[in-house]
Amino acid sequence: MRYPKNYDIIVIGGGHAGIEASLINARLGLSTLLLTISLDSIGQMSCNPAIGGLAKGHLVKEVDILGGEMARNIDQTGLQFKILNRSKGPAVWSSRAQADMTAYRLRMKYTLENQKNLDTKQEMVDEILTEENRIVGVKTNLGNEYFSKAVVITTGTFMKGKIFIGLNTYSAGRAWEPPSERLSDSLKSLGLKIARLKTGTTPRLDARTIDFDSLMLQPGDDDPIPFSFRTKELRRPNMPCYLTYTNEKTHEIILKNLDQSPLYSGIVESMGPRYCPSIEDKVVKFFEKTQHQIFLEPEDEKSTEIYADGLHTSMSYEVQLNFLRSIKGLEKVEIMRPGYAIEYDFVDPTQLKHTLETKKIKGLFLAGQINGTSGYEEAAAQGIVAGINAAFYLLKKEPFVLRRDDAYTGVLIDDLVTKGTKEPYRMFTSRAEYRLILREDNTHLRLAEKSFKAGLLNKDEYEMIQEQKIKIEETIKSLKKTFIFPNEQTNKKLKELGSEIIKTKTDLAKLLRRTEMNYDKLREIVPDLEELDKFIKQEIEIDIKYEGYLNLQKQQIEKFKKYENMRIPEDFDYTRVGGLSNEVRGKLMEIRPTSIGQAMRISGVTPAAVSILMVYLKKYDGKTDSTS
Amino acid sequence: MLKHDDDIITAIASGQVESAIGVIRVSGKNSLTLLEKIFTKKPPYEHRRLYYGFIKDKQNNTLDEVIVGIFKSPQSYTGEDSFEVYSHGGLVVMNAILDRILSEGARLAEPGEFTKRAFLNGKMDLTQAEAVATVISAKSKRALMAAQNQLKGNFSKQLSKIRDRILYLMAENEVRIDHPGEDLSQMTVNDRLAILNEIKLYISRILRATEFGDHLFKGLTLLIVGKPNVGKSSLLNLIVGEEMAIVTDIPGTTRDIVKESFNIKGIPFSVLDTAGIRRTKDTIEKIGVNRSIEAINRADIILAVFDASQTLDKEDFNLINRLKFIEKPVIAVLNKTDKPTAINEHDIPIEKIIKISCITGDGLTDLENALEKIALGNFDDTQLISLNSSQKKALKKAFNICNQLSKDIKKDIDPVLISVNLLSLADYLDEVIGRITNEDMLDVMFKHFCIGK
Repeated sequence: MRYPKNYDIIVIGGGHAGIEASLINARLGLSTLLLTISLDSIGQMSCNPAIGGLAKGHLVKEVDILGGEMARNIDQTGLQFKILNRSKGPAVWSSRAQADMTAYRLRMKYTLENQKNLDTKQEMVDEILTEENRIVGVKTNLGNEYFSKAVVITTGTFMKGKIFIGLNTYSAGRAWEPPSERLSDSLKSLGLKIARLKTGTTPRLDARTIDFDSLMLQPGDDDPIPFSFRTKELRRPNMPCYLTYTNEKTHEIILKNLDQSPLYSGIVESMGPRYCPSIEDKVVKFFEKTQHQIFLEPEDEKSTEIYADGLHTSMSYEVQLNFLRSIKGLEKVEIMRPGYAIEYDFVDPTQLKHTLETKKIKGLFLAGQINGTSGYEEAAAQGIVAGINAAFYLLKKEPFVLRRDDAYTGVLIDDLVTKGTKEPYRMFTSRAEYRLILREDNTHLRLAEKSFKAGLLNKDEYEMIQEQKIKIEETIKSLKKTFIFPNEQTNKKLKELGSEIIKTKTDLAKLLRRTEMNYDKLREIVPDLEELDKFIKQEIEIDIKYEGYLNLQKQQIEKFKKYENMRIPEDFDYTRVGGLSNEVRGKLMEIRPTSIGQAMRISGVTPAAVSILMVYLKKYDGKTDSTS
Repeated sequence: MLKHDDDIITAIASGQVESAIGVIRVSGKNSLTLLEKIFTKKPPYEHRRLYYGFIKDKQNNTLDEVIVGIFKSPQSYTGEDSFEVYSHGGLVVMNAILDRILSEGARLAEPGEFTKRAFLNGKMDLTQAEAVATVISAKSKRALMAAQNQLKGNFSKQLSKIRDRILYLMAENEVRIDHPGEDLSQMTVNDRLAILNEIKLYISRILRATEFGDHLFKGLTLLIVGKPNVGKSSLLNLIVGEEMAIVTDIPGTTRDIVKESFNIKGIPFSVLDTAGIRRTKDTIEKIGVNRSIEAINRADIILAVFDASQTLDKEDFNLINRLKFIEKPVIAVLNKTDKPTAINEHDIPIEKIIKISCITGDGLTDLENALEKIALGNFDDTQLISLNSSQKKALKKAFNICNQLSKDIKKDIDPVLISVNLLSLADYLDEVIGRITNEDMLDVMFKHFCIGK
């Protein structure tokens, strides 16, 4: 039937991308429909029971400041919270939390159900409906036609998903859930390029059969810091994880049974993630290593299921059981669910704009694993950007684009649409050029203005953040102008604090720059200094201690911006530019970079070609149609 | 018609001077179609062939009898289709041919535009383009040969090597950022410092090679000092060779400071204040020891002349005392060795002492060798480099960043901070190569070419 209600936006898929896309649309006041194969799987964590981690913590906090739900949800359902890399510099500090998977999923489901403007329905979408390369709606497996002006597809691993356990294969979108067999054909018929990717997950173990006493305890932080800037206080348990290792016996079992692996017997040919390899991959590729780390993580506060992080595998059930039982603490382990590999259809992301809209079909947006990424956080970040842009497309507002110097999300999307990907794309700190500025700790400070201007942040929240910013700036200014003098009392105090004495008049910023100094110690020397909030103190210390490097990075950003601001019109005619090789011209016409900066990042586009483009754009800026 | 970058540009490549043969260069996507309209020999035109014929005006009158050379894309200087007309070298005839080409839709090339196109079409990088400028302005054959070496891309290869080392350090550093616990990198602080030192050494060598390269490509200035009658003028005549001397006024300086230019072992030199030196021959010498400070500042090398047949007097010692405070290379020239020696050279605290006779010419080779050594250091001609001032500035900045990085790596600080400096280091190197470039820089860069290049 033709469904009687018309929607502004339809979101396909209720995973981490679909949740953010549908929530933000509803929150922006647009009538939104979320269609999912199973309402019970909304917010399901298909792989590890954790949110955040290196470079991913950044993404979660960026989603948060843009009005997303992920950070708030984990703050309410985490089992332990930890800042990784605390001993290292602030650019690599990353928040990570173990999640109660069930609680996480249910809270998300309730959040969607209680959201105004949002309907959720359990139906499988088979077809995308278009008219003249413009979205008009979708058609489901029940034959229902839903009409809308925009569609966001977030199908994860479900399109033609195929699971491998040993030499057994079956069709599934995730574990035992049905796949979507028709949707990618519909996309193909719309002219989109589709390819295959592979990923995998680990066996889930029965906690009652693990000897935890023999393993190393990995607790969370005692003073946990929430993900969301909105969360004032975390009231969550601190459940430990445990650390164990594979050994030579484990490796021997795996090597002996490689013919039982779909990866090594040639059944699976698509690319898996290099950075998150299966245990069989690790054993083969890093042959010289005699052990690999395994983290045993709780999945649910009340369940006995344990996730074995580091043991992604698609070996046969028997081999999985044998190698698991060779590992310390797991000698008597029982498998509750085996590990598996999954192969699925994805859409080459170079067919997308920075808004995540397809270049071919107006109003069609894609987000998450369908774009070749991996990870809940990567999915959520794309989900919110696709959602915002779908809304802005309908509201006829300027596209919302985050650049590489704005956010990790900007880096993620720019990488995808500019370079594409051959393996599941995961966020890394090293993908971001300006990571000293794009830190996790300052996420809400750096994105508040952009978010507020786009209407994603309310006034109270914005003003609260502005106040923090002003406090930080003013305190730094005043520290630079406050001097202490080398008298006996001051130097005695400095010695007590384990710092060098001063010999001349010194400003407090300079003193704070010393490695062993912090704001609290400064207050011991100058008791008049104001007591400040912990976060404010931390930001002041970072800004002062790293000032030189931050300034250098700002210069690098200025240089970068210069090229980003050299815009290339969307309908730019590359055939008019002489001196480009056919190969380079072909690349440029395919990617259609929006700026000289983006053109520089396309692989195969030479510096000389960029120079030609630059000269051309500069000379003929705005008068390319002249016929004089 | 709209100005495109694939429009046709032209210029008289042999310059606006009368000569036996004139060369008019034409380049652009449709240049061979243009040729068809003005040349009696019709296509096909083959790459790297010469064709004989006549250039005709619109009324079909013959303008000149010429040879035309064809260079097809991409194997031409600019990388585009182009041709060159070899005409008679009169100004009137060359300009008539030029006007004829212009009348068919070509436009006059801006200075350096041919080379700019070569750069834009990926035929050369910036260091090679810089070498083209140096080849054109080379003041001696030796300088020319050295510049040709850079033009061949030898220096670019060196820079690429450094860049590879930087990328290696960057990659290693990234591993430590993203995978801290996984001991993927086995490099110690000392390993990393060793690579950095290698980079630093390379850069400082290039900077020195540029400094000495400037001597070969742009020349050095000599200042001859000494009390009256020690033979400054004879010395000048001996090293210059009187018939070669060209006297020119240098704009912006006092009229009586005049420079003579000549080559010593293929290195261009000039001498300051030659008028002052020569004037002493017929009039009473007043200038003598009291050289202006300004002259000393402008000199690259100072030749202090003493009369070897006499003992040092008060005036000589005055000069010696003044030279003590000068940080430029000084050579003490003991003249008149054809006469019995009276001077005690131990009284002269100058490291380099050359004994010479301006009458017999004995010792001239020693002096020339000493000058060559100061001018080019221990560099082989093939190692000398010519860079423009912005490239030099970028290299100096790169060097300073290396120093900062050494400190940071020694302290084993946060790899993220190290990466900030590594990124800048790579950026500066790219500026030298021209990998990252902008239109303004290109304009400046290519303006100092003569029109036809």
